Formats: sequence, structure tokens, C-alpha cells
Amino acid sequence: MLSSPEGLPAAPPTDGEIAPPLLIARGITKHFGGVVALAGVDLTLRQGRVLGLLGANGSGKSTLSRIIAGELSSGGGEMHLAGAPLRHASPQDAARLGIVIAHQHPSLAPDMPVWENVFLGAELSYAGGFIDRAKARRRTTDVLSELGSRLDIAAPAGTLTAAGQQLVEIARALARRPRVLILDEPTAALAAAEVGHLFAAIRRLTEEGVSVIFISHRLAEIDTICDDILVMRNGRTAGAWTTSGRLDEGRILSLMTGDPDAVLREMGERRIGEPVLRLEGLRAGPAVRGVDLELRRSEIVGLAGLQGQGQVELLEAIAGDRRIDGGTLWHKDRAVSPRRPRDMINRGICLVPDDRRRQGLFSGETVGENIGYVLLALAPRPWHLPAEKLAALATRAIRRLLIKTDGPDQTVSALSGGNQQKVVIGKWLATDVEVMLLSDPTKGVDVHARSEIYAIIGELAQAGTAALVFASDVQELLLHCDRILVMYEGRIVEELSGDAMTEPRVMTAAFGKAAG
Amino acid sequence: MRALRYTGILPSLLMLVVVIALNARLQPHFFGLPSLEDNIATLTPTILVCLAQAVIVLSGELDLSVGAGVSLINCLLATVPISAVGGPWGLMGLALLLALALGAINGVIVTIFGLPSLIATFATAAVWFGLALALIPQPGGELDQSVGDLYSGTVSGVPVPLFIVAGALLIWTLLGRHRLGRRIVAVGSNPAAAFQAGISVLRVKLAAYLVGWLLVGLAAIAISAQTLSGDARVGDTYTLTSVAAVVIGGISLAGGRGTPWGALVGAIVLGIVSNVIYFAGIPSIWQEFFKGIVIMSALGFMVLEQKRAAVA
Ligand SMILES: Nc1ncnc2c1ncn2[C@@H]1O[C@H](COP(=O)(O)OP(=O)(O)OP(=O)(O)O)[C@@H](O)[C@H]1O
Ligand SMILES: [Mg+2]
Repeated sequence: MLSSPEGLPAAPPTDGEIAPPLLIARGITKHFGGVVALAGVDLTLRQGRVLGLLGANGSGKSTLSRIIAGELSSGGGEMHLAGAPLRHASPQDAARLGIVIAHQHPSLAPDMPVWENVFLGAELSYAGGFIDRAKARRRTTDVLSELGSRLDIAAPAGTLTAAGQQLVEIARALARRPRVLILDEPTAALAAAEVGHLFAAIRRLTEEGVSVIFISHRLAEIDTICDDILVMRNGRTAGAWTTSGRLDEGRILSLMTGDPDAVLREMGERRIGEPVLRLEGLRAGPAVRGVDLELRRSEIVGLAGLQGQGQVELLEAIAGDRRIDGGTLWHKDRAVSPRRPRDMINRGICLVPDDRRRQGLFSGETVGENIGYVLLALAPRPWHLPAEKLAALATRAIRRLLIKTDGPDQTVSALSGGNQQKVVIGKWLATDVEVMLLSDPTKGVDVHARSEIYAIIGELAQAGTAALVFASDVQELLLHCDRILVMYEGRIVEELSGDAMTEPRVMTAAFGKAAG
Repeated sequence: MRALRYTGILPSLLMLVVVIALNARLQPHFFGLPSLEDNIATLTPTILVCLAQAVIVLSGELDLSVGAGVSLINCLLATVPISAVGGPWGLMGLALLLALALGAINGVIVTIFGLPSLIATFATAAVWFGLALALIPQPGGELDQSVGDLYSGTVSGVPVPLFIVAGALLIWTLLGRHRLGRRIVAVGSNPAAAFQAGISVLRVKLAAYLVGWLLVGLAAIAISAQTLSGDARVGDTYTLTSVAAVVIGGISLAGGRGTPWGALVGAIVLGIVSNVIYFAGIPSIWQEFFKGIVIMSALGFMVLEQKRAAVA
């Protein structure tokens, strides 16, 4: 039975009026063992408005969201929904009150089809509990098309890409017709076009009076969609205000870090050298359909395009993690045909994978073990690695990438999403590679740490490494790359460099309307 | 086609065809009515127990006490005088009640107390067996002939065993279209996701145990009706047979993946294998050995096929 909240709130107040608060949280605390995740945070969500939640990785955004959604119990503080005290004990309770969350990490049943996942726990059923499959399929198609997606609703959720799973997670939240909708980094895996559709959906919802908590590390998105801002730092409210005009990036950065002089790092100058990697008509499965590309020493090249145009598959093919069906892959002046990742790792060509939950991390192991792992795997005599060297490596990565953790001995699964991603990246700091293939390296990473990650890529590049980066956020590529290649349907349809590297030009090409 | 391959039922169907062909060659008049009816009556309890294991495995758990449970129910039926429960139907009702109670105990231990099902049900298996021995120390006791008559009879021309299997499969099919059935699969597939979707993982797993043990109860009734006596070891072989059948039928032991049809096919394959070995004239001391070899090859074949399907 679909639990639709009793009595949707009245139409939102028009401009000029102050929208009344719908959800108020005061002094919320939460401990995980000895770790303080929330140290008394205040939040006010107004009716029919979008509240942007900002904060460094590990500042407690997801924890707060999950408490509001009834998934975690709070350690202290109080919440009110529409004036009444909010005491819910489970996700079911929350859903009954109309509070629904789309998680940062899609939480789906991998063996079940998309449409069943969308209505899982809120099945559309006839009397007696038998599932109305036709209706569920139809509604799923509707919700997904609202999000501009044409996913195969019969595909098992586990077979979807990270972006696909994210869309299903969002669709599931929308399908429950919430009155308070929490979107925890919904856009981290999405490309600009999908973000546009999502924003349109959010605007439709707020017009109907729905209130939205929107979490993102992309300031441009917060700027576009949010009415109110809440910046968190170390489990506390660092600042909250109603937006007017453009966001002040510096102010947000200093609130986030607690350092009034915090600035984002600039990329250093580099001299681009001779080619190290060259592709000629490379084909791999249905996703990569003939790619020509050249990568030079010290060069940072961005791969852009809509989601799922073959960018990830291309990186995997080069890394030896996907079968190559045709074309040639040149490493310097040697044609190579990798059969497994190790073949390419031995040549100094490494992939930093995008789906950290599936490929990049051993989540049961500690931070230190994860960071040291690459070193172990690549070492000629892995039994002879001095423990101090591993420890030094871990400490350096933790400091450099601002990983928020108790120390190298903490289990990775207890870290916040963005901090887990930093551990994935941290592994590669250790290695001296010739070509680094990065698949959405800053997914879910906060602004500050993101600039650190690119600074590190820049340093590696200064030392001669060539980097090929796929990122779903165009802004970030424009900011850090020497050249941008736009992919569409498995081919590169546009190459932009210098002054031609602008968002409109990337977007035009991304839709397959390449000039010429 | 994708659905078939996905649940891995195809290779087990292939195996089924092979063993049936072998059996038909070796057993005279395999397709003749009397021996077919006989085979179905013998297979029915196996099929039921395998279906029971399948529900529990799909929910992400395991039950190593189903065999001992069958024995305990059988011993109870052979001890209680039929007059005390008012005829064969009363006796069957009693069997089902006991089955539900045993299932509830396992379910509660696994869900509420949170013990790993592998160990917990290994322990309860010993308890069930001990109780069965206390009831009937030596094979013996007697069930009323009326129970046996019911089982070997027909319902409008259809033999009762076939009727029972069809009924169990119908329940299964309905379950697959019901909220509960799909939640069982969801919980087995990803318990964290199910919880976050607002499903009570605890209740769903408990329900899986209850549904499973209802089928175990039916299996115990079928066996008792065939043997008409009590034996504390009568169910012994069913436990591991049911686990093997589930795997051969392409159901993932990790939960969340597979169909009842897989368990059905797996059960029939294993049931017929015993038949084949018997009729192949293998000396009785070597029968178990060969059975083991066949099961091992079947599992190996399954694993290879699943790998191939995963790559393709
Ligand atoms: N299950 C857990 N066990 C121990 N510590 C935890 C657990 N969950 C979260 N934490 C800790 O709580 C703090 C806040 O984490 P949270 O996930 O809320 O951060 P976040 O703001 O969402 O970060 P991100 O931007 O990286 O997603 C972190 O320091 C994290 O390590
Ligand atoms: Mg988070």
C-alpha cells in the first residue's frame, strides 16, 4: 500500500511572505561509539522550499538526514514536524509522516528489477497483498521519465551503472509522494542533463508545497536550486541563511573549514611532453565504438559527455578491465593488447575506478590497509614491505586529502561517503605511474578536498604522469584540464582546448550535435 | 530467456533431462503408470523439503534442521493414538502445528536472538533428533492405516501426492506475486536496502521460516503415510539433499536469487539419481559413493554454467 501522507500542506506562500517552517530540529546529537558525528545541530526547513545542506566530508550531513528519515535514532535534541513533536522510530514511521530519503549510496536489492526496487516496501497491491505489477511498471516508467531517464525497468538493479542506480534511488523517493524529501548527494553520479531534469522535478514538487533538503558538494547546484542554506562543520551548524543573489564561495569555504583564509588550490604550470598512449579506432563491446585519442606526458585530459556514453567503459578497456574487440592501443611505440588489469599495471597504467563500493575498496579493512594495498600489490617482493613505510604512507594520505578518520586503523566502512572516496584516491598517491585513468575521482568529495585531489593530480603530472579523467561535473573538468574530449554514443565527437573550453560548447557536443 | 538464464535454471533442466533419460533406460517401464505413480509418491517428500529450504535460503538464511524436524514430526505421529485427535485429519493438523512451532523456534533464534542460522539450526537439529529418539527409541510404532489410505488415494482421478506437490507449487507461485514473497527475496538480496525501504527484516525472515516449515510438515505427513511407522532417523538424508537441490536449482546460497522451479528441478534430479543408481545394478555398499560423485558433478556443472552465463 502506498502510504501517502495525510493532509498535504496547503499551497506554498507566494513571494514576499515568509514561508512557515515545516520541520525544525534543535540540538541534535549522535555518537558512533567514541566518534561524535553530530554535536548539536540546528535545522529549519520551510514549507515548499529547498534547503541546501553544505559541509566538508564527514561533517554529519548524511547522519543528520538519516536521523530525520527515521533510520537512525538521535542521541539527543528534539524535532518538530508541522508544529507537532516528531518521534518516529523507523523508516516506516517516517514514510507514514511523509518523510522520505534518497540515499547518498543507492540502497537497492541488486537481484530485483528496477520497478520492484522503486516500490519495495511500499508495494502497489490489490486486496490481500497481491502485487499490481502492471500499475507498478507504469508508475515506474512515469517517475523515471519525469527524471528524463529511459532505464530498462525490467533490468535487475545490480546490473545498472552507478548513475542508473542513483536515478532508481531518487525515483523510489519520488514515487512515495513525500512531503519532506531528503536528497543526499543525488547529483554526485549524474551528468548535467540529468541534473537539469532532477531540478525541474524538484521545482514541480516545491510548487505543490513539498519541502526538500538538498545535499551537494557542487556550489553551482546549490546556487541554482536552493532557497535556504545550512553549512555544517564538525556536526554543528556553522551558518544558516536565506539566499539572495549569488553564493559567496569564500564565505562558504571559510564556514566549512572554520578557517577564514581558506582558499582553493590552483593548478601548477606544466610542460607537456611526448605521447605515451595512443588509441586508434578502439572498440570494446557495444559501449566503445571506435575511439581515437592521444595522451601526452604531463597532460591532463578530461572526458566529458552525458552519462553512459562509454566514458567509463573506455577507461576500463584501456586499463585491461574490459575486453577490447578492435582497434589498436599503443603504449609509446608498442601495440599492446591487455587481457587483465595486471598487464597494464605492469606498464604503469592504472585505473582509479568509479564505483568505490564495488571495485575500489575493501570496506571491511582499515584505512591504512586500503591505502597500502596498491603498494603491496605492485611491490616486487610484497612479503618484504616495512610496516613503517605503509604507516607513513597512510598518514601522509590522511593529512594530504583531509580524510576525516580516527586514524589509519579505523575501518573504512565507518567513514563518510566522501572520505571513502578519498581513500580510493589515496591508494594511488603511493604509486609512480605513467598513465593514470580516473573515473569520476571526486564523486561526493567536498569542495576543499576536491581542489586538493586535483592539486595532487597536477603534481603527479608535473613529474611526468599523464592523466585521463572522466568526471560527471563539467565545471571541474573545465577548471583543471588541458584538453577536453566529449564522448557521444561510444565515440569522441569533439575535442576542445584553450579558449574553446566552455560549458556551452561541451554541452552542445554532449548532445551529439558536434560542429562538423 | 534472460529470466531463465539469470536464475540459472537452464543447466539444471538439462541435467533433469539426462537423468530421466538414464532412468528410463535402466528402469523397466519407467513411464508405465504404476512405476510413475510410485516414483512420484517417493519423490513428493523430497520435493516438499527442497521447496521449504528454498524459501528459507531465498530469505538469506539456511536451515539444517529440516531433516530432524521431519523425523520428530514422524515420531510424534507414530506415538499419538489416532482416536485422541479424531481421525487422520486431526493427526495431520497436529503435524502441521508442530511443524509451525519448530519453524517459529528456528525463526526466533535466528532473527530475534540474531544467531547465525548455520549454527543455530545445526543445534536445533540435534534437539529435534533427541526428542524424536525419546519418543521412539527403536524404529517402530504404528500409524493408522487410514492415513496411508488417504495418501495413496486419488482426488478426482489425480493421485494425492501429485495433488500435494501441485498445491505447494501453487502456493509458491502465488507467493511470488505477493508482497510477502517479494519481500522475502528483497531481504535475501540486500537486507540493508530492505530495511531502509521500510521493510521489517525480522518479520519477513520469520515468515519465511514459517512458510518453509509448513512445507516440512507436509513432507513429514507424506513420509509417515508411506512408512506407517515411526523412525527417529527417517528424515536424516533430507537436510543435505535439500541444500544440494537448492544449489543445483540455481538458487544462490547467499539469498535473494532463484525460483521455486529451480528447487523443484533440483529435488527431482537428486531423487531420480538414487533411482538410477539403484537400477544400474551398482552393489549396495557403493551406492552412496556413486551418489556423492553424481551430486558433485552436478554441482560442478552448475557452477561452470553460472560462470559462463555471468561472462556472457
Ligand atoms: N556507522 C558509523 N560508525 C562510525 N562512525 C560513523 C558511522 N557513520 C558515520 N560515522 C562518522 O560520522 C561522521 C559524519 O558522517 P556523515 O556520513 O554524516 O558525513 P557527511 O557529512 O555525510 O559526509 P560526506 O560528504 O562525505 O557524505 C564521520 O566522521 C563518520 O566517520
Ligand atoms: Mg554523506
